[in-house]
Amino acid sequence: MNATVSTVLHILWTFSQLSVLGFGGGKGIIPQMHRDAVDSYQWVTSAQFAQFYTIGKLVPGPTTVFAALIGYAAMPGRPWLGALAATVGMFVPSSIIMVVVDVLWTRFQASPWRLIVSHGLAPAIVGLVWSSVWTISRGTATGLVAYAITLAVIVLMLRTKLSAPLLIAASGAVGIIALR
Amino acid sequence: MSADAAAPAVTTSRPSLLSVALTFAAISSTAFGGGQKASIRHQVVSKGWMDNDLFMDGLELAQVLPGPNILNLAIYCGQRVRGVAGAIAAFLGASVPPFVIVLIAGALYFKYSSNPYVHGALRGCAVGALGLTIGNALELSWDERGDWVEIGLLVLTALAVSVLKMPLLLTLVLFGGIGIANEYRRSRKRDQS
Repeated sequence: MNATVSTVLHILWTFSQLSVLGFGGGKGIIPQMHRDAVDSYQWVTSAQFAQFYTIGKLVPGPTTVFAALIGYAAMPGRPWLGALAATVGMFVPSSIIMVVVDVLWTRFQASPWRLIVSHGLAPAIVGLVWSSVWTISRGTATGLVAYAITLAVIVLMLRTKLSAPLLIAASGAVGIIALR
Repeated sequence: MSADAAAPAVTTSRPSLLSVALTFAAISSTAFGGGQKASIRHQVVSKGWMDNDLFMDGLELAQVLPGPNILNLAIYCGQRVRGVAGAIAAFLGASVPPFVIVLIAGALYFKYSSNPYVHGALRGCAVGALGLTIGNALELSWDERGDWVEIGLLVLTALAVSVLKMPLLLTLVLFGGIGIANEYRRSRKRDQS
């Protein structure tokens, strides 16, 4: 098997595993994705990972589309192919599950298990979101200005209706001045 | 909702596959975060593809299963109006535009990220995104405040993943499993009382 094919399969397989474990809308997969893409395979650096995650939040659509950028960086010779492999791996397996379960859904309709499973998984998902905070913070700027921006965004997000992309863009504007 | 109302073919209209794909492409290329769910609801209900109850069933299913909620929801709506072909059209509409947009952003990133101004902007954006993630974690944690078992699970999960580097699969099986058992026990209690 040549190197290109094996890299494509490796990327596909890595993101497919994350895809089928992406409960809670995919919020919980960030720590494992970082472990794979940064620690195990060194496709991207921790700072790149944090910035790609940021781009994922900045563009419309699902945040996890930033997997494409990891695939892009993982295959410097054929970046578009890497991006496609990562995106297919990230989105297709969970989508197939959705289609199949929807066909069977009528049978689950009255089942109390729906709520038991979604409520039961919630604490673990929230714990994973806190781990994501830790993961992302490993690749972000440190220092007083950086902490002040983060704190301001937390307060504005919880206290106002300002949209996420707007808050990120405003943070970027402060960054141009103070984090260069 | 009653079982007969949820039979697969309850939708009244039969839009073309292109119309399904374009509807979700329009939403996925312009809407952010929670706004996307509201947009999808507005579109599918106002176009007469399904009623609100059927949509809410789909939203619940989309949130329980793995994968981005928006993508799952689009697939559900596509499947209800045009079967598996509709699901594929909806998948393409909901995923291709974000993919193209993120690639354009990525190409610009690789071209200009060494420029000091762009570098500063990116570092600023990233600490902003970190703030959003912390805010999200705080909001989600607040929802769990009533139950000590849930709070304990939350903290143990965060520590096991961050400190012990527990793999995702094991984390979900172990802490997700305990959470589901806890929820099951609580539902039994509610039923008895």
